[in-house]
Amino acid sequence: MSTIQSPYYFLVRRVHSILGLVPIGFFLTFHLILNLTALGGAKQYDLIISTMQSFPGIFIIELVVIFIPISVHAIYGTWVVYTGQVNILSYKYARNWFYIIQRISGLYTFVFVIIHVYLLRFGEANFSALSQFLSQPLGLIFYLLGVLFSIFHFTNGLWAFAITWGLTIGPHSQKVWLYTLGVVFVLLSAIGMSDIFAFLK
Amino acid sequence: MAEQKTIRLKIRRQDGPNKPFHWEEFEIAYREKSNVISCLMEIQKNPVTASGKKTTPVVWECNCLEEVCGACTMNINGQGKQACSALVDQLKQPIVLEPLTKFPLVRDLMVDRQIMFDHLKTVHAWIPIDGTYNLGSGPRMPEVKRQWAYELSKCMTCGCCMEACPQVNSRSKFIGPSAISQVRLFNTHPTGEMNKHERLAALLDEGGIADCGNSQNCVRACPKEIPLTTSLADLNRETNKFALDQWLRK
Repeated sequence: MSTIQSPYYFLVRRVHSILGLVPIGFFLTFHLILNLTALGGAKQYDLIISTMQSFPGIFIIELVVIFIPISVHAIYGTWVVYTGQVNILSYKYARNWFYIIQRISGLYTFVFVIIHVYLLRFGEANFSALSQFLSQPLGLIFYLLGVLFSIFHFTNGLWAFAITWGLTIGPHSQKVWLYTLGVVFVLLSAIGMSDIFAFLK
Repeated sequence: MAEQKTIRLKIRRQDGPNKPFHWEEFEIAYREKSNVISCLMEIQKNPVTASGKKTTPVVWECNCLEEVCGACTMNINGQGKQACSALVDQLKQPIVLEPLTKFPLVRDLMVDRQIMFDHLKTVHAWIPIDGTYNLGSGPRMPEVKRQWAYELSKCMTCGCCMEACPQVNSRSKFIGPSAISQVRLFNTHPTGEMNKHERLAALLDEGGIADCGNSQNCVRACPKEIPLTTSLADLNRETNKFALDQWLRK
């Protein structure tokens, strides 16, 4: 610990925490729910995507609400991963596993989002493009892991979020919040899986 | 277990911080209700390895022998524990003894835990009552508070929580759970509370509370069963309020 106060250290760490929920977590939930429209078929899905893309100022919204927060969260998060350590072999506790999976899922999601955006936002964003990508077994596994890991990272992140912001202080409240988030994880995963399988038809 | 004729130990030996390490195995006569310290004392009397090779006595530290000083903390079968309260009958053999990994090594099982005491200084883990005249008696502490604060005061700076914490390592400046929990102890004390801003300010710095990764290994590793994760969460709340208040008053 340095003797000189670095006034922004605490702030940056708290900003990293809040970005995970606002806007990234909200965007993830919205994104997963919106993609359920793919269940209605290619035509409906493509119509919604083109409507979204034709919003005035969509680029600014994407930049401020999606691109910048995710970049800040991911780059700072990568540094956080670097400052950690794996000691699961000596301390085989459930929470220690969660600690490690949180970091693995974060790094995976970082890579996943880059490829996902490159393919679909800057590439051809339509039903058939994604459908084709998911028809390859590796593409499907890549997406299944991407969806599950990002949802895990979000829900488990919310568990730590409640501690970081001093909401759940004792072990009991932390446990209740854990089970609540378990339900959220299952629900969001069900939505995410439905999204993927909509493109497999 | 009582039928066992011998106690087998595997000890990581290293003559100094920059010397190479090697493993040595020892086999000593079984004695009922032995602890790891008594095994090490037995080896000290006759420093011969299991294969009959004469060696130097194993270096370790101990003091109170009743799990209140923390001096004999070492990695026993992979986890940080006090050698005095680590009972042979409850351990898998061979009992693997290693020094703590989060502190500079002195020799064999002896490490220098100075950084833990430095961290206590960083967070002002004391109550300043010195003055040039008698300050009189301080405010009373409510009994309910005293009861849970007493649990926090059981910390013996042994380093088990540091050893278990994945955020305490050479790449991070994290001061660890024990020093942070001491902030809660001294901020709870009615006289200590008068300087709570100094302790909270120290926690905002790099290596402070924000570096906690919520793996919650510390609370499982603590031999004194101190509610470390409760202290961490509570101080998250306190530092958030404090940081916001400080900023708004600027």
